[in-house]
Amino acid sequence: MPDFKSKSIYLFQGILSAESFKKLKLSKQDHAFVSEGRPSLEAGRVTSAILLKQGITPTVISDNMAGFLFFKGLVKQVNLACQYADENGALCDTGALILAVLAKKHKVPVKLLIAERRHRFVGDPESILSFEGTRIASKGTHGYVPLVEWVPAKYLKE
Amino acid sequence: MSFESPLFWPAYVKEDVLYVLDETLVPSKLKYIPVKNVKGAVAVIREMKTRAFGQFLVVLNTFLLELNPKGDLLKHLQDVAHQLNNSRPTFPFAEVTGIIIGSASKAAAGGGDVRMTVIKTVQGFLAGIRARRLQRVQEIADAMKDGDSILTHCNVSGELAMAASLAVAQGKHVKFYATETRPYMQGAKLTVWELHQAKASVTLVADNAVASLMAEGLVNKVIIGSDRSAANGDIANKIGSYQIAILAREFGIPLIVLTQPSKGVARGADMPIEIRDGSEFLVFNGKNVFGPKVRGFYPGFDVVPYELITKAIAINAGL
Repeated sequence: MPDFKSKSIYLFQGILSAESFKKLKLSKQDHAFVSEGRPSLEAGRVTSAILLKQGITPTVISDNMAGFLFFKGLVKQVNLACQYADENGALCDTGALILAVLAKKHKVPVKLLIAERRHRFVGDPESILSFEGTRIASKGTHGYVPLVEWVPAKYLKE
Repeated sequence: MSFESPLFWPAYVKEDVLYVLDETLVPSKLKYIPVKNVKGAVAVIREMKTRAFGQFLVVLNTFLLELNPKGDLLKHLQDVAHQLNNSRPTFPFAEVTGIIIGSASKAAAGGGDVRMTVIKTVQGFLAGIRARRLQRVQEIADAMKDGDSILTHCNVSGELAMAASLAVAQGKHVKFYATETRPYMQGAKLTVWELHQAKASVTLVADNAVASLMAEGLVNKVIIGSDRSAANGDIANKIGSYQIAILAREFGIPLIVLTQPSKGVARGADMPIEIRDGSEFLVFNGKNVFGPKVRGFYPGFDVVPYELITKAIAINAGL
């Protein structure tokens, strides 16, 4: 298990704007989990850089590891990158719905933070076929890359 | 004729050498690593050159490589079993080696030929497993219905691809979505490749896109494998399986799991979960992907509680 002292810590997901961190009370946090955000990994990189500037050590996980963290009671609060929100729910960076469902199941609070503005809702299908510029998937493979997803309000209420 | 992927039977013995498919190189290369002793076998397991069913084959076949020690054969085989049992924590190595040690001990106690007993046990066991896996492939194909859109995670060692080829041959139109399965990307490397080879339609998605697929109604069934089963029906499988199971239940999508029932542990919580070195996750092609000050955390597996499993397609592996 990670060697942070707190029983559970914050989990960040999506490409968050630097502005959004100002609204978070991070003073008592010394560690945080950051979901890497395939395919671009921008979420992992941007959020980690912002956390490091604030003296918080980021522990990056792949997007499929969040369930394990919830199962083990390691998540104190989920912070999601949100493009838009109203009373019906929120348009968030892809991956948010997984975390919101897990948060509801495990009774962990969810906070919406301002995301970097998306100019596309669906990414380049080729982007998931490679990792850091190296082709991974075999020739002829089709990819599908949703960049945003709707998170219904029922998963966001504490 | 159904398609048999190299991943269906990724290790074999020829002239006292065990050849193990290096799954980390698939699909760009089909290269087999020659393994000559238990030390080599432990190395290919620890370095994840093989995994899942490949580990099972490596464990059983390794005993065939270790039948000519200088000293007492049974003691030597027990030492071989001990080394294999301690190679990785989550897969039930001790249950597999226990089959061979049990037969060898019985032969030794009865004054029988331990060497021949081990050879016959391994060969008989492998033949039986192959037959039962083929039978399970048929069951998986039967579970695939015309029009299905199936999500899968990681890789189920050739069985899904073979079942898909059977379904295609039966005239069923079945689509697949495969998760990338970070950090080793077995979905991107292995699953999409072998489903393609099986002439099935497959689309690769990031691990974070699973809820999108389900919410948009793009999948109506989930099929995954398992590395270990508990007596109560809980399973351990590649990291990410738990959240997929939670989502499948939330969206009313049936979850089918390919299992190897075992009574070795009572429940999922009793299964040791391997935590691998975080650097394996952070470093790619020798480069630190997220920068030097960032930590990584890499649990290799997670547990799916039996309540979340709609149907288990079991194979009796004698565990």
